[in-house]
Amino acid sequence: MINKMTETMTKPVTVQGVRHLTDSTYVLRFDRNGRKFRAGQHVILGIKDENNAREYSVYSAEGDDFFEVLIKEVLEGDVSKRLKKLRPGSELQMDGPMGFFTMGQETIEAGKVMLIATGTGIAPFRSFVRSNPQLDYHVLHGVRYGNESYDQAEYDSARFTLCTSGDETGNFTGRVTDYLRSHEMDGATQYFLCGNVKMIHEAFDILKNKGVPEDHMHAEVYF
Amino acid sequence: MKYHLITLGCQMNMSDSERVRTVIESQTGYQWTDNEDEANMLGILACSVRQKAIDKVYSRIQKWNKWKNQKSLVTFISGCILPNDMEKFLKLFDIVFRMSELEKLPEMIKQYGVVTPASLFNDLRGMPGNDSIENFWKVTPHYSSDFEAFVPIQNGCDKFCTYCAVPYTRGREVSRPSAEIMAEVERLVNQGYRSITLLGQNVNSYGLDKKGEEVSFPELLRKIGEFGNLSHREFWLYFTSPHPRDMTDEVIEVISEYKCLAKQIHLPIQSGDDKVLIRMNRKHTVEKYRQIVDTIWRLIPQATVFTDIIVGFTGETDEQFQNTRKIMDEFKYNMAYIAQYSPRPGATSSRWADDVPKEVKSARFHQLSEDLRKHTAVHNRKLIGKTVQVLVTGKDRKNGFLSALTEGKIVCRFASENTALIGDFVDLKITSSTDFSVEGDLVMAEVQAS
Repeated sequence: MINKMTETMTKPVTVQGVRHLTDSTYVLRFDRNGRKFRAGQHVILGIKDENNAREYSVYSAEGDDFFEVLIKEVLEGDVSKRLKKLRPGSELQMDGPMGFFTMGQETIEAGKVMLIATGTGIAPFRSFVRSNPQLDYHVLHGVRYGNESYDQAEYDSARFTLCTSGDETGNFTGRVTDYLRSHEMDGATQYFLCGNVKMIHEAFDILKNKGVPEDHMHAEVYF
Repeated sequence: MKYHLITLGCQMNMSDSERVRTVIESQTGYQWTDNEDEANMLGILACSVRQKAIDKVYSRIQKWNKWKNQKSLVTFISGCILPNDMEKFLKLFDIVFRMSELEKLPEMIKQYGVVTPASLFNDLRGMPGNDSIENFWKVTPHYSSDFEAFVPIQNGCDKFCTYCAVPYTRGREVSRPSAEIMAEVERLVNQGYRSITLLGQNVNSYGLDKKGEEVSFPELLRKIGEFGNLSHREFWLYFTSPHPRDMTDEVIEVISEYKCLAKQIHLPIQSGDDKVLIRMNRKHTVEKYRQIVDTIWRLIPQATVFTDIIVGFTGETDEQFQNTRKIMDEFKYNMAYIAQYSPRPGATSSRWADDVPKEVKSARFHQLSEDLRKHTAVHNRKLIGKTVQVLVTGKDRKNGFLSALTEGKIVCRFASENTALIGDFVDLKITSSTDFSVEGDLVMAEVQAS
């Protein structure tokens, strides 16, 4: 008989640590336990013995022997606040990894990709970049303030454009969609979009109007 | 001792209930009753797809718990249940179990309360030995029909469409071993079943979870096709529902090659607008869908194509709805199951504002239904004068008529009171059509040895 439905799908994993990037954004690291994973996939995390759970893209690389996720604390949320308080050795429930926001081998080896994110939507892109050193990428990261440029130092600076809409500390002042409107876009490039749905819808229209075929656009909406 | 089971929701639940009945009747001594009020044990296979279905569960259990003041009654629940509802059900039902725990149900019943007659019944013949969905599939179902059957080939879902709660109730995709599927299909065909439907949440993702250790979906279809050729028996094999993301040309090619693989494809599109599809997390574009339909039309021109569409999804604009109307006109579906969006608790989209007003949803629903009607009317009119093979499925609502389905699942009726034809293939000469059905005259009854 069932005590908790979560038992049907999730397994307990042990927290290794929490790394704070800003007051509200942090990286949660926990045991991978040998689970297979492809960059771009997500996991579902919840507090042990409770039913509330949320999806988070994996922030770490395919080769890492742990999982990391990038979490922004949601003011009215429950899960993100409580995950932040976990200490090394605590247990949490994990389901996955799963999902289809992944990159084909052909793209990784020979393609050119533009990775367009807002906020913590950069998580799967860090995983793409760290998992595939040969990747011909350019990251376009949209945030309000420059201090939200999570782990920017890890990227090749020539391949990273920070778009800030609330201050002028970025490489580009304005939203990522403003950047897309004001620059030429190559129809042969594969575009990966991750973040809030408003940005993704706008970017979709902009890219389409600039001649990018729909099958060159891949989206993961954050909710 | 009598029991009654209420099954809510989809064909998957219907199929699951056939296995639940087998276990209860073979191992607890309870016998089925159609009358809920004379049962000593009452169960529900729940569905979480719509809030209305969950509301039904609460209403039923409140009634049943009141009955407990007057008689001894055991209640149980299983099926698609979200975690939060599950917690509440634990307090309301005597027994709550996952479908993969079905083998333990007899024991749970026996252990419930004081001694019941079921405690004395101890027949564990034929039961699988451990707690997993694989063992659930080993239970021989108590088929509810003797000519059409559902065969589950997969359980769970990895797609996480934002409007759907199934990934949270049924878990990840698990494929049933192909040898078992083949054995069940062969047994059904040899028993004379005419219509067999392979079931799964994403039926064409079959085998992907086994990472090469199991055949793929087209390979499974080919095996069934080969068996169909060798069996010399006539049957139609369907599958539902495929997901456009995993639909390959190979699936369509295989269907075109084998007579027993029914030329009817149910391919849910949900919306004709790429941005809505993104918001729904469907992971395919309209263009990808178009390529699939083009391949169907090219390789199987006679195939009927069905779909599912949601109107009024959160954030859907008039322009986006018009794009859905455009695809309705482009693909000219033979049938579309159109639903007005309603938030399903537990699904991701339930966290968003349900911001399309009810009257707008309703207007879009009626508009799209009208668009569909025009196409189905044309399709059905084209059948007039043709002789088509149909499977007789039952008595029609119209007195003195029987109902039937074509291979493409077009609803037919014909004048006959010969109920012995139910479950057989017959030929009909189509004489008239309506928007959603056709009527014909019986040409000849084909009686085959079963």
